[in-house]
Amino acid sequence: MLTLDHITKRYGSLTALDDVSLNIAPGEFFGLLGPNGAGKSTLMSLIASLRAPDAGGITLDGIALSTADAAGRLTLGLVPQHIALYLELNPEQNLGIFGQLYGLRGADLRARIDEALDAVQLNDRRRDQVKTFSGGMQRRLNLAAALLHRPKLLLCDEPTVGVDPQSRNAIFEYLERLNREGLTIIYSTHYMEEATRLCSRIGIIDHGKILALGTLDELLTQLPFEEEIRFSANAATATLAPALAVQGELTTHDGIHRFRPRAGAKLSEFYSLTESRGLPARLFTSQRPTLEALFLHLTGRTIRE
Amino acid sequence: MRIILTLLGKDFANLRRNRSALVLSFMVPMVIIYVVGLVFGLGRSDSGPSGIPLAVVNQSDNPAAQKLVAALQAEKSFHVITEFVNPDRTIRPLTETDLRPLIRDRRFSYALVIPPDVLSETQLGLHLKILSDPRNDIESQTVNGLLQKTIFTHVPDLLGQSLQARAKKFLGNPKLSEFNGSIATAVAKAFGGDPAKIKADIEQGNFGLEELAASPAKPGAASSTGGDILSKLVKIDTEQVVGKDVKSPTATRIVGGYAVMFLLFALSNSSAAFFSEKNSGVFQRVLSAPVSRAQLLWSRFFYGILFGLIQLLALFFAGHLLYGVDVFGHFGNLLVVCACVAAACTSFGMLLSALTRSPEAAASLATLLVITMSACGGAWFPVSFMPEFMQHIARFTIVYWAIDGFGGVLWAGNSFGQMLPTLGILLSITAVAMTIAVWRFNRSRIFD
Ligand SMILES: Nc1ncnc2c1ncn2[C@@H]1O[C@H](COP(=O)(O)OP(=O)(O)OP(=O)(O)O)[C@@H](O)[C@H]1O
Ligand SMILES: [Mg+2]
Repeated sequence: MLTLDHITKRYGSLTALDDVSLNIAPGEFFGLLGPNGAGKSTLMSLIASLRAPDAGGITLDGIALSTADAAGRLTLGLVPQHIALYLELNPEQNLGIFGQLYGLRGADLRARIDEALDAVQLNDRRRDQVKTFSGGMQRRLNLAAALLHRPKLLLCDEPTVGVDPQSRNAIFEYLERLNREGLTIIYSTHYMEEATRLCSRIGIIDHGKILALGTLDELLTQLPFEEEIRFSANAATATLAPALAVQGELTTHDGIHRFRPRAGAKLSEFYSLTESRGLPARLFTSQRPTLEALFLHLTGRTIRE
Repeated sequence: MRIILTLLGKDFANLRRNRSALVLSFMVPMVIIYVVGLVFGLGRSDSGPSGIPLAVVNQSDNPAAQKLVAALQAEKSFHVITEFVNPDRTIRPLTETDLRPLIRDRRFSYALVIPPDVLSETQLGLHLKILSDPRNDIESQTVNGLLQKTIFTHVPDLLGQSLQARAKKFLGNPKLSEFNGSIATAVAKAFGGDPAKIKADIEQGNFGLEELAASPAKPGAASSTGGDILSKLVKIDTEQVVGKDVKSPTATRIVGGYAVMFLLFALSNSSAAFFSEKNSGVFQRVLSAPVSRAQLLWSRFFYGILFGLIQLLALFFAGHLLYGVDVFGHFGNLLVVCACVAAACTSFGMLLSALTRSPEAAASLATLLVITMSACGGAWFPVSFMPEFMQHIARFTIVYWAIDGFGGVLWAGNSFGQMLPTLGILLSITAVAMTIAVWRFNRSRIFD
């Protein structure tokens, strides 16, 4: 459905996107996971043809997108990272304006506004100024405004920033429903939990490059370990470090040790070691590795650094 | 077009919610125009039934003098006082000796004395004495002007008599009679009527100016030499008699000047709103819809013109209510001028936001430029007050040409054709500023 072909985008001397190629199939829920400044918003803006790439091309349903061709954007919905609403106006007016920009008029427009406000549970606030809304309510409206014209491809740029868990859940459920109904979604985030929960396929992006691409399982198999054990770095556990280095990989961040046994190594070896040092098992938590671990593995940094 | 209309609707909906912009664009200029108008003595001349207190003492037994008093009493701008109230509440006519102490007591600031020798033989014109409290210089000028106007429009006999008296002194009686006779013949020939009756009228000082005051002379109606002389004489009088009210140029300048200044402020502010839209991401959303950059820019431009038109007309209407600016006499031309001024001001605002990098920079540059342009361009005081080199600089400001346009329509009553040079200049300013602005917008980071 959407093809990005060797896209490069520079801002002056800074390369925000570096030779990015990507294919999105219809009906996908694609996650773009990356830290601040990775180039997520830049990628979104290129797909929405707000900017032109310095190299490469983007095609949507086989048609090349360009900043000059407004008609190509009809099938596309963008949820900008910032609240992109007229704060002085109410939801009805906002949706009315954005709907009209897509050529919607009259009864059809009104019906869709009702539907959209219902979907994001803002019907009872439809006549209140948006600036009086909470962050979560504004986020929900920000999402609704991108859906009025029923796009085939929805670009969500960090749509849950600063949202309380309840609103966040409402947004997730709505997006999941839309995706089940056939909407293709590209969802950027720096929360790996969001990518894990929502996305059928994930691209990990950093410094303008896609570092890894695939389903969650595919991504995690790129890790050379299947299990990760975490424990706090303190005097009691300090003596473990040299011994563990032989058994696998040990990294330390924010006072937390993460130990990944070498492939094929048995966890029982780890626990017999800790037992022999008189360290109780409750000090250690073992879990399946996460995207976070993958990011760390790929970049040597945690995603929120 | 629909997209532009949608965006326009959005801008106006936003404006309606933006109380401070509304207050700044409409209320503040109205108040300032009102106050500045008072300072320039506009309000006093037209402030309804009470008017400016004017004491009148008539010492002349000339019937025309009595007529002048009646005319002054009829003039709405004056509140004529002719009586003195004694401490015991009895009333007697005011005398000249009463006037000075009463003026010092601030009971009134102006007094007119019509002396027994109101018609002097040594001087053309009338001999009147005006006593005033010079506290308000501008007001006394206004009073002077109004007195002249009243005399010219209502008591032209006095002037005629003055003319006759002076002619008598120079020519002597027989020759004057001959002169009057030849004029009467010429008048009768040109306009019809009985020469003898006309001659008698002329000797009474009645040149028919009263009728002329009511209806302007028809040029080219007279053919004889006498008629030519008369038409020349009449023409001079006609201009004074029928000419515009003395207060109009000042009122037009004040209303027009401040209206343009506040329009420039309002439009540079709304252009700065362009930035906040950009920063808030609304820009991205709008441009991710099937909306082109050009449509976005033109909707801004049309919004500016519409807004400017509304603001200018509202302020002129206020000027009409406050100071009797003649808005409706030339409404069509006024509309055209306002549209051109609004276009020029909009392009100025858009150029500013195209050239600056942040709303703050745009706002401070706007303040600086708008104030400079208003001062130099004649919004605050007439350009003719300024040194010559400043007068040349003035011509480079939008404000100057706006005021020129408003004055042309509202005061001089210029036709559309006569307005064309000014309109052309305003539109050229618009074209140049918009070209640079659009060029810069397409290159600048506002879209990036
Ligand atoms: N308009 C711009 N001009 C110059 N540099 C820019 C511009 N927009 C983004 N950048 C730079 O490009 C890089 C990528 O930015 P981008 O906004 O795409 O990152 P992001 O992944 O969306 O980050 P975040 O999670 O903070 O939103 C950053 O280094 C940023 O500073
Ligand atoms: Mg971003």
